[in-house]
Amino acid sequence: MPAIRAEGLRKTFVTRRKAAGLRGSLRALFHPDRQTVEAVRGISFEMEEGELLGFIGPNGAGKSTTIKMLTGILYPTAGQATVLGFVPWEQRQQLAYRIGTVFGQRPQLWYHLPAIDTFYLFGKIYELDDRTIRRRIAFLAEAFEIEHLLETPVRKLSLGQRMRCEIAASLLHHPRLLLLDEPSIGLDVVAKQRIRDTIRRMNELEGVGVLLTSHDASDIEALCRRVIIINHGQIVYQDKVSALKRRYLTSKLVEVRYAHQVPRDFQIEGTQVLKIGRYGVKLRFDTRQTPVEAVIARLAEAGNLVDVTISDPSLEEVIRTIYQEQAEP
Amino acid sequence: MSRRGLKYWAIFKTQLINGFAYPGDLLARSLSIIIFLWVFLFLWRTTYRAVGQERIAGLSLRDTLWYLMLAETIVLSKPRLSSTIAEAVRDGSIAYLLNKPYNFLLYQLSVGLGDSILRLAFNALAGGLLVGLTVGPPPPLWGWPLTLVTVIAAWLIDFCIAATIGLTAFVTEDVAAFEWIYQKVTFILGGLLIPLDFFPAWLQAVAQALPFAYTVYGPARLFVEPDGGRFVTLLLTQGAWLAALGMLLALLYRKGVTWLTINGG
Repeated sequence: MPAIRAEGLRKTFVTRRKAAGLRGSLRALFHPDRQTVEAVRGISFEMEEGELLGFIGPNGAGKSTTIKMLTGILYPTAGQATVLGFVPWEQRQQLAYRIGTVFGQRPQLWYHLPAIDTFYLFGKIYELDDRTIRRRIAFLAEAFEIEHLLETPVRKLSLGQRMRCEIAASLLHHPRLLLLDEPSIGLDVVAKQRIRDTIRRMNELEGVGVLLTSHDASDIEALCRRVIIINHGQIVYQDKVSALKRRYLTSKLVEVRYAHQVPRDFQIEGTQVLKIGRYGVKLRFDTRQTPVEAVIARLAEAGNLVDVTISDPSLEEVIRTIYQEQAEP
Repeated sequence: MSRRGLKYWAIFKTQLINGFAYPGDLLARSLSIIIFLWVFLFLWRTTYRAVGQERIAGLSLRDTLWYLMLAETIVLSKPRLSSTIAEAVRDGSIAYLLNKPYNFLLYQLSVGLGDSILRLAFNALAGGLLVGLTVGPPPPLWGWPLTLVTVIAAWLIDFCIAATIGLTAFVTEDVAAFEWIYQKVTFILGGLLIPLDFFPAWLQAVAQALPFAYTVYGPARLFVEPDGGRFVTLLLTQGAWLAALGMLLALLYRKGVTWLTINGG
């Protein structure tokens, strides 16, 4: 049985619109102008038990709405879904005992209390007995390396430390599925790495399935084997992360700075020059045709290098490429 | 206690611990009751002197001040429930409170109780000290436990009204106006500002026919003049209102959740 099965999930919201100014307000009072927004437009996918599945898309793509339907907070306009065998919006409470949720932008830990107080509270809310709670806290504290943080009021923890505690708290009741909505939002590179490591470790240790949403493609690249990209409420890509990398994360962007002025006709073999500044140049190249080290070597030959940054194309660019491909098969 | 019961007990306890996180704040807040009672003290001293009677409508100056002490204690210890619920509804965070295995209203009830109990203790202590030192000793001790029972019932009635107001945010989005009205009604018809005994008979009758009198006046009046019969009548009336308002709240909540799951946060 798959952990999640969704078939043709749809969600349409009706919102009220109001024109500007007093006149608009008055008109809205008597003749409200209703507008339908299709947040999710027919999503179908499956997730295996114990799988690490990435669910990405730009802001407003429908990620959170989908998660809300899968946790039973929202009733879909059409379509079907089962999560761990439950129909979420009909069996929300039963499902709640078996899944864990972390919403990066909605902390669940009590702000003024040490995390351990919330841990005990959650243990009671999930109806565990005291011994089980104590043992579980000890285990999670070690796995997440948060033993030294548990007795500090949450408000005094750094964002990264707090997020580790949040995720640990969501695992207290041994859920079989963890829904992580933007767990790395606002974190620096080191903190992100630690969060990813702990998520991976818990997946290996306990086989907990993880559905991870993010607007940062690198989260998914580092953690998941399979990825679903959604945009405007629809799935635009669904395959292995390795395939995504091979097909779409093929180009890299390079920004270089030289100690001297750059000639106007600057060229490097195997790359496409995007922008030439006074001292700097921005280039793009295809890693299938030109290896990274070759580009770096050629750039170094061209002059006295001061700085080099190499980056992946943004998620938005990847989605644009996917669209282009779909438009011209 | 069953595991279900234990979970609400744990929520209550956690809120209680949370209240102790800032002892300074707790003390500072109980200062406001001292200020209010100080003003009342001068107001009613002058009134009693001007009227030239030992008792007005059966209440002495000492009775009146002890009445106001309990009335203020009850009102100042209420949690900010309406705005908390309305905010959760408006910004959609209610959705995140719903994905844990507990009943949202019982959760709020447990948090509210944990919040109120500390403040109730501090307010009663501060207010009681002031009134005791200025107008004389408190009413007979044997009436205290009876009063406490009706204070709890009063708190529960207020919870139902405040939560109902909070949940109307599903439709109205802003509940500040209803909150304001409820507060002012409590001032007058609840008997917070003046004991209802001082009102003309018709207004007393109106007040007694509404639930607000049983959230403040009832317990405060019982406190200054404890009486078995009065206690039983009050508790029965409170029970009836509690049943009616509790049903209304439960109905509204179910409607609200359905609305939420269809319309989103």
